[in-house]
Amino acid sequence: MLKVESLSKTFGKGSNNEKLALDKVNLSLEEGEFVTIIGGNGAGKSTLLNCISGVYEIDEGRVILDSVDVTFFPEYKRSVHIGRVFQDPLRGTAYDMTIEENLAIAFAKGKPTGLRPGMTKKDSLLFKERLELLDLGLENRMNQKVGLLSGGQRQALTLLMATIVKPKLLLLDEHTAALDPTIARKVLNLTRKIVHEETLCTLMITHNMKASLELGTRTIIMHEGQIIMDFKGQERSTMTVERLIEQFEKRSGAVLDNDRMLLG
Amino acid sequence: MTFLVLQGSFELGIIYAIMALGVFISFRTLNMPDLSVDGSFVLGAAVSVIMSSGGQPLLGLVIAFFAGCGAGVITALLHTKLKIQPLLAGILTMLALYSLNLKVMGGRANIPLINKATVFSVLEKTVLGDYSKLLLSLIILLAILFLLYLFLNTRLGFVLRATGDNDHMVRALGVNTDFVILMGLAISNGLVALSGALIAQSQSYVDIGMGIGMVIIGLASVIIGEVIFGTKSLLRRLFAAVLGAILYRLIIAFALEIGMPSTDLKLVSAVIVALAMAMPVIKKRLSLVKRKLTVAHHEGSKRPNA
Amino acid sequence: MKKPLAALISVIMTMTLMFSLTACAPSKAVNSDNSGAKKKIGIVQIVEHPSLNTIRESLIKELQVKGYKDGENITIDYQNAQGDQSNLKTIAQKFVSNKYDLIVAIATPSAQAVVSETKDIPILFSACTDPLGSGLVTNMDKPNGNVTGTSDAVSAEKIMDLAKRITPDIKRIGALYNASETNSVSVINNLKDYAKKNNMTVVEGTVTNSSDVQQTVTSLVGKVDAIFSPIDNTVASAMPVVTQIANKAKIPVYVGADSMVKDGGLATYGINYDVLGKETANMAVEILKGKKAGDLPVKTMKDMNIYLNKDTAKAIGINLPDDVLKAATQVFGN
Repeated sequence: MLKVESLSKTFGKGSNNEKLALDKVNLSLEEGEFVTIIGGNGAGKSTLLNCISGVYEIDEGRVILDSVDVTFFPEYKRSVHIGRVFQDPLRGTAYDMTIEENLAIAFAKGKPTGLRPGMTKKDSLLFKERLELLDLGLENRMNQKVGLLSGGQRQALTLLMATIVKPKLLLLDEHTAALDPTIARKVLNLTRKIVHEETLCTLMITHNMKASLELGTRTIIMHEGQIIMDFKGQERSTMTVERLIEQFEKRSGAVLDNDRMLLG
Repeated sequence: MTFLVLQGSFELGIIYAIMALGVFISFRTLNMPDLSVDGSFVLGAAVSVIMSSGGQPLLGLVIAFFAGCGAGVITALLHTKLKIQPLLAGILTMLALYSLNLKVMGGRANIPLINKATVFSVLEKTVLGDYSKLLLSLIILLAILFLLYLFLNTRLGFVLRATGDNDHMVRALGVNTDFVILMGLAISNGLVALSGALIAQSQSYVDIGMGIGMVIIGLASVIIGEVIFGTKSLLRRLFAAVLGAILYRLIIAFALEIGMPSTDLKLVSAVIVALAMAMPVIKKRLSLVKRKLTVAHHEGSKRPNA
Repeated sequence: MKKPLAALISVIMTMTLMFSLTACAPSKAVNSDNSGAKKKIGIVQIVEHPSLNTIRESLIKELQVKGYKDGENITIDYQNAQGDQSNLKTIAQKFVSNKYDLIVAIATPSAQAVVSETKDIPILFSACTDPLGSGLVTNMDKPNGNVTGTSDAVSAEKIMDLAKRITPDIKRIGALYNASETNSVSVINNLKDYAKKNNMTVVEGTVTNSSDVQQTVTSLVGKVDAIFSPIDNTVASAMPVVTQIANKAKIPVYVGADSMVKDGGLATYGINYDVLGKETANMAVEILKGKKAGDLPVKTMKDMNIYLNKDTAKAIGINLPDDVLKAATQVFGN
């Protein structure tokens, strides 16, 4: 489904702050695969997602989505087939519009942006059904402005918006990082449920090592712009957090001293 | 205040309300400060007068609208394609329009419309007479309000509102925000130009300097309307912009009635807008002061027993 | 790498736009044939306006009559600032740096811009209502510097006397003018003096730009019996709307110039701009023949004429008295 070939991205070329964020990264995802990505700060995780989704233009390499080379497509063109949830709960929704209206825009993904009514009664009913499945009581607040929702509720809504039209690829960028533990767990469970039900090809960045091993079918570790570990199946199901750290330090030559990752 | 003053204020307010709606689209809906308004207003007026001189006042209004759309497109392209900041892009368009408007006016800085038919003059001959300006403008305004409300509830309208809120989200949902901004600024400037076109036919002349300060007046109208009428729903906000424009004219008329020289009017506008924008902060401060006083009062009444 | 490129492209685009517009600008370039014998005259006008245009046209015609033909023994460079003060500055600097032999500045803002640019080149102003108050000359009889000219000063007194003949019962007069135009202020001060002597009151109606005019006039008509407006560029540019509102309220509007009467004012006792242009031409000839500008006294027009507008009179329900009609130089309207 997703193929990333020799992807490279450098920031601040030619200046003092030049940084090679991604170094000839190769990655291949099958349809329905749920991959978690973990790594220290500056490892290139978010950059990878941003390059795949088109927010950043890449310097070298190719991005191929479902056999279509999208390397030179602008962000909005790629978004038609990609669903995203960001780390910042504010970034996925329009705070001044209602829950319904936000869902209406998400539901229109892939359809022409014309003068057809933004939302019909039929749509409204559909949204209500989907919101009920989230089990957060949002279905009773459909006419309320998103700005009134809490972070967790917003992320849940963003998740729904990202998947209401089934995407070919779901990109989750530490989407529970800004939430408190109880809500974070709820959103993670929601994620697991939706991805499983729709068999979505998913790439999820998380800072939580335990979660990275529990969710999904495959785990990737990034360090300094490269993928240094990639395991699935038997190897993964027997992996523990301690062994993971040990392996990481051996492969990268760096000490894993990221508190968030170790304690989170 | 005489009836004439009242009627005049409403006439002006209704036509300027169309401009306020245009400013509402760019400043509030798209969240983009568009200063080309000063230029688009005169562009609409110039086109309107030139076409009325040629015997086509109604067509003049239509073409004025589209000319304004063109101005908006330029600003949008400067921003989306050349990555120029919206504020600067609007200023560049306004500058360019200054020369362009003069060209439209054939090199003259002022063109009077004496004895030529305007959209109003035709009606004035009918039984409506004196009220024809008021009624025709009102009909046009209501039609625009209706169409605008419908538009803002279409798919394009939804993404327009969302782009002003959070353009990241809109792009992540597969919509070309460059196109949305283009449409938004086109409609916004189109409305402003239409307003200018109506004013020119109403007052029977166009002057190259008649657009100066329009964007400020438009903003003041929108802000005054929001503070007084609230922002709860989209429909309410549209009405607020309109009522704010009318109220602004009434305030000016009132200031003139009590003898304030028109040179002070700009100061009055500034004070009103500042007050309007500070209203939420003022309200908070007042409630805080109230709580402090209540607490102090309780403390005071407790002490004797200690 | 994109930001600088974008900025460069936008600058190039703007400059290309600028050049293409100046290429289409309707200006008459001075011939680079500097054969010494031809005198170079620069004419600068603040804005396109019938009265100002009349002055320029009759000036050029009279010069020709007196033997100075454009293209033969003189070259005339006419520039119009299109209402923009900063353009005036640019034009003035151009005239001075090209070392013209004479500069004619039509209207006060034009004159003020040129006067500050040169103390050597002779400057001839025309249609400046108050040369002393505007800082153009320090002495009307012997200006002494390089500046002199013709003034279109009108007498508020004479206009009000005429007004009293047409509408004898007016007591409260509205003064409609832009206080930042020095040409207007002096005439309004005369009006106030007249009012004091004649038991009338003056209500101020100042405007800062043409957009203010509508609401200011609407407010005035409820408070006065008549409106007075001098030769004010701001009011003149909005004359149609002044007429609309004043006629509706049946208030007579007495103005300072014939063009304002043509645009709807009721009456004026004003000057003939054709004659003003001719007088300016006469002074220009003297300077071209070698006289110093500072030795020529500023000329004010002695001959004033009555201009009336029949349509306006009808609209506000006034019968123009026969003797006034007979004495009028021109009556506008059907």
